[in-house]
This record gives sequence, structure tokens and C-alpha cells, in this order.
Amino acid sequence: MQFHAFQDSRGVTVLSPTVDLEKDFTDRLGLRARFGVDAISAASDSCARCHSEGANSARAVGSLTVTRKFGDTKLALGGELSQENFYRSTTLLTSISRSLNKGNTTVAGGYSFSFNQPTLHPEETTEQQYAHDAYLSVTHTLSKSTVVQLGYGFAQINGYQDNPFLRAPVNDQLTLGHSPGSRRRQTLSLRLRQALPADTFAEVDYRRYFDDWQIHSSAVSVGLSHYFTRRLLANVSYRWYQQTGAFFYQPSYLGNPQYFTSDFRLVPFDAGLYAGRLVYTPRNGLWGWRVGSGITLQYERYRANSGFDAAIFTAGLRVPLGAGNAP
Amino acid sequence: MSMLKRAAALCGLLVSGLLLSACATVKPWQRARLADPCMVFDEDASLAGYRAHWLEAREGSAGGSGVQGGGCGCK
Repeated sequence: MQFHAFQDSRGVTVLSPTVDLEKDFTDRLGLRARFGVDAISAASDSCARCHSEGANSARAVGSLTVTRKFGDTKLALGGELSQENFYRSTTLLTSISRSLNKGNTTVAGGYSFSFNQPTLHPEETTEQQYAHDAYLSVTHTLSKSTVVQLGYGFAQINGYQDNPFLRAPVNDQLTLGHSPGSRRRQTLSLRLRQALPADTFAEVDYRRYFDDWQIHSSAVSVGLSHYFTRRLLANVSYRWYQQTGAFFYQPSYLGNPQYFTSDFRLVPFDAGLYAGRLVYTPRNGLWGWRVGSGITLQYERYRANSGFDAAIFTAGLRVPLGAGNAP
Repeated sequence: MSMLKRAAALCGLLVSGLLLSACATVKPWQRARLADPCMVFDEDASLAGYRAHWLEAREGSAGGSGVQGGGCGCK
């Protein structure tokens, strides 16, 4: 179980409890279920234009995944449903992975299809969007203390992709934005995990993103984990992010532009994300629960040079429901 | 990125995988530190998934962590 509290400088506050259940029926068959709720209180510019006192909303999301092992191959099939006031999403997904080279190399791939239905509030009209997403990754053990992963992701999104709440200044008139009806996204990633002396571990992640809206971004994340005792783990990390703007983004528009937007996610900006996490797993279980139970506390702070700022707090509880073994 | 470049990138990824598989093999009794949760990518999948969710709602890019869910109407 986890509880997340998100608040940002756009006036949005989101409280999100989530529950994850994992069950291994045999050593080859497993099931994972997840349910979460986002309780959203929004006083952002997109809501405050009509709701000066802010607007409350809620999003419920549930997912189910079945995993089956066939020797060194693992196959997963699953789905996810989410529903909120003005958006519904249905996703089917599958993934497969295989261990090679005596378990030192793992090749994995996956595909998902999403059918999304945004409602053009305050109108009752519902639009449609179709998203195909695929990835391929290779994870390899370089040494007794080093693991690397190379990944490639591809996504094709067709259908309605405007933001029905944000209006762009066109000829000095605030006008509902209009984006292209197709978007192709690609990512390349390189990740490293390195075990260091004195119960310390280093992590480095790099992701390069590009799409046909001409948004290019780089994200570099570095982190350090350390066991103060075998029961108490601390992690600190920093993520640096930089993106260009969409080819059709301008602060304001004149004439009769085909595409125009004021979506804050499509402007060029840099950002930094600081995070700190503590994980405590007592030897005899937490608060009388089974051995293996533990608690996680995390704080994140996101700051962009566009003036956007967000703080996120997470508290998590892990409780083995079956026979727990001391970790 | 053209189809040809995308295919080349994919082939490069697969070739890299094959080349890496030729590296020295770590024996099972040498994998003690590799079994630590800190050496597992996205060991806490729920935490990683939540971060990816709110980052996608606030940035113009997404992906790089497996297949995605259906997104949201986050504004």
C-alpha cells in the first residue's frame, strides 16, 4: 500500500492511495492486481477560468496482470482501466522476457494498446484517441557488481490530442488549442547499477526522447543508496531534464495558424528533481505484522526554469500476506 | 527519425545484446550483490510507476520504462 501527496505551483493537489496485491500461485504462475484513486483538487488556470474556487475531481484506476513462466521465458498479459470526470482509458498489454547466457542476459519486449476517451468539458462531446506502445530492452550483467540495460521505446498516438481546457492567444483572442492528430514518440535509454564497497550502490539512468512534434528531451538521473544497517536503507537521487518545444508552440499567434497551443508541457524548459527515500524493514516484522513487512518514506521536489514547482510525498507499507521470510 | 534510422537503431540494440552476451559470465555463487534490490531496475514498480505518471502529466515526453498505461486527463 502506498499513499502519495502531490502539490504543484499550478494550484493542483492530488492525494493518491494505491493498493498492490501480488500472488504466486506456483513458481511459474503469478497474479498482480493494483487499484488506486487520485483525489484531485485543482485551482490551476485551466480550471480557475470557470471555477474561481477551484474544482475537485477523482480518478480511479485498476489493473490486473497474469504472469506465466515457461522455462527461461516469462510471459505477462494484463489490462488497465481508469475513469475520471472527463477522461476514460482502457489498456491491454503484454510483455515477454527471456534469460540467456546462464541468466546473465535478459531480453525483454512488450506491447500495449490504449483506447482513450476525453470529454470536452463543459460540452458533453467525447473524443477518441488510440495509442500503440512498444518497447525492447536488453539487460546484461557485466560483472559481479555491475548491471546495464539498453532500451528502445516506440509509441504511435492517433486521434484527439488537443487540451480541451487550455486556450492560446490567437490574434489577441483566447482560443481553444489545436494540436496535430498524430504523434510518434521514440525513446532510447541506458541504465547502470553499480555495487560499491561499504553496502553502497550507485545508479545512473539516461533517456533520450524525440517525437515528430519536434520535442527532443534528455533526462539524466544519478542516485546513491546506502544500508546504514541491514534493516535501514537510504537513497538520494537527482534527475536533470531538458526539453525543446513543439514545432507549433509560440507564446502568442497571429493570422490563421493550423496548430496552436498554450499547453505548458509543449514549451521548452529545464528542470531538476531532487528525491530522498528511506526504507525500513525490521527483523521481526513491522508493528506485529509478518516478517518481511516494512515501510517506505520518500520526498521529491521538482523545479523547472519555467517557474513550475512541485512537491511529492510518498508513504508506503509492504506486508507479506503469506509466509514471510526475513529479507 | 526515418524508418531506416529506426531500423538501424533497433539492429544496433540487438547486436549490442549479442555482443554483450559474449562477455565473461558471472557464476551463480558470485551473484550475491547482484541479488540486492538496489541492483534491480525499478524494483519498487509501484513507486516508479507513480513517478512516471506525474512526470508525464507535467513534461512533454514520456516512455523509457516499459509499456505505458492509458494516461489520464491530467491538466
